[in-house]
Amino acid sequence: MKNSAALRVVGQDTASEITAAVEINDFHVWFDEAPVLRGISLALQKHRINCIIGPSGSGKSTLIRSLNRMNDDVEGYSFKGSIHFDGEPILRKSVNVATLRTDIGMVFQKPCVFPKSIAENVLFGVQYVKKLSRQERLHLVEANLKAVSLWKEVSHRLHDRAGSLSIGQQQRLCIARTLAVKPKVILLDEPTSSLDPVSTRAIEDLMLELRQEYTIVFVTHNIQQAQRVADQLVFMCNGGVIEQGPKQKLFGNPENEQTRKYLNEEYCDC
Amino acid sequence: MNRSLLNKLFVFTTVTAAGICCAVLLFMMAVITAKGLRALDFEFLFTASRDFGAAGGIFYQIVGSLLLVVFAALICFPLALGTAIFKSEYLKNGHMQRLCAVLVYGLNGVPSVIFGVFGLIFFVNVLGTRISWFVGSIILAIMILPTVVLAAFHSINSIPQSYRESASALGLGKWQVIVKVLLPQGIAGSITGLFLGLARAVGETAPIMFIATAFSGVGIPGSFFEPVTALPTHILALTHQAINQQALQNAWGASLVLISLVTIFSTLGLWSRMKLKTMSLR
Repeated sequence: MKNSAALRVVGQDTASEITAAVEINDFHVWFDEAPVLRGISLALQKHRINCIIGPSGSGKSTLIRSLNRMNDDVEGYSFKGSIHFDGEPILRKSVNVATLRTDIGMVFQKPCVFPKSIAENVLFGVQYVKKLSRQERLHLVEANLKAVSLWKEVSHRLHDRAGSLSIGQQQRLCIARTLAVKPKVILLDEPTSSLDPVSTRAIEDLMLELRQEYTIVFVTHNIQQAQRVADQLVFMCNGGVIEQGPKQKLFGNPENEQTRKYLNEEYCDC
Repeated sequence: MNRSLLNKLFVFTTVTAAGICCAVLLFMMAVITAKGLRALDFEFLFTASRDFGAAGGIFYQIVGSLLLVVFAALICFPLALGTAIFKSEYLKNGHMQRLCAVLVYGLNGVPSVIFGVFGLIFFVNVLGTRISWFVGSIILAIMILPTVVLAAFHSINSIPQSYRESASALGLGKWQVIVKVLLPQGIAGSITGLFLGLARAVGETAPIMFIATAFSGVGIPGSFFEPVTALPTHILALTHQAINQQALQNAWGASLVLISLVTIFSTLGLWSRMKLKTMSLR
């Protein structure tokens, strides 16, 4: 994954050449021959929050699950097209999917902590990627819990069961666990949909911090949330990308009528 | 008939059904305990039988039964766990999954005497093994395989998909997900299934009487290919001497020991379920 792909992104505010972490070209997905994604072409920008919005069933989750090949395990899944990560094609059979997933981490809609301690959860993925000394383990736990602003809350009970944390804390723990593997891209599939407003705000603040170091691809139903955190916005409908560009442009002056209606929370017949 | 009356009738029917089941079990246990306790003493448990069981104890029968089921467990458990993992995690084709389920349920439906006859023909006649406790363990392992496979499968398959996805998304390979995530959580149910299978196996007579046991004259086996004497076949032999009151008394005593072993295995099954489940959640 060495060659960085440089391309011009439509609507980029500086109109300069920027690097894309992930490029998707004419990507189609079928489940049991039913089309779910139809000819998606996108560039997801490095160190930005790339927010994908759209109504239920528009294919948002299918799209981001394709970026780390989580759909590979789904019965009846087939695809056409290409996805490049850091310039390298990732859909080839020869690609090591486990390694790809350490580069492109993912956090799911509902927090899923393993039935282990808080510290063990942070180390769960990374300890199978590389051998860690006791010192490294301690450092990783502290650093990643600090990165998700959970350290102060749990530092005195690292050996407690992760299930004893609140749902919001569990979701931040899931993010810490993902960060510990040191991914370049973090996929967030509606990570706040099961959280209360305070926890939601904490995750949003965390995303804004994390974009300094990571490329974030974020799926949400919540238009206000997209407005708060997104840098780049992708509006999807019925398996296709209707419009994409900087948040300011899509919220301020969308080119497509469907985009305008959806973002204004009007009835959208897409 | 109004709904209230129907409701009461339904409740009465279910309570009666449950009551009959419990009463039959309690009656059997009470009779076996009452009759068996008269035979039970230190000498009965720790000495060898004499006069074809009419005198002496059942020490070698207890050892033989335990030997048969311990090795049956050792043979059965890895096979069952492997089958369950394959069925749950690798066999994604719906038709093949159904075929696999039919085969497992089909194996469960085979009468136990058929296992014994199969063992006799295949192992003793075709492969030329002599009557051997080890062959008996293999046959018992095959016989309880469906019980353990189904318990392990349901235990592993019921683990939420989110665990598999979360572990995969962290870069764990498929086998790592199975070993590090699914097995620690699914092992409790699998071991429970194993103990319940063993509780059934320890009381089986037909599968072992042709291939693994001798009715008398054997002690602790010195190799894998020697017969043992076991509690179910011993009880069968004693009841053939029903005219001899002492033999009958010993049959009740042996029955009490056998039912105690079944209870111990069943209790271990329930205990392991609670204990291992708690441990896996720590």
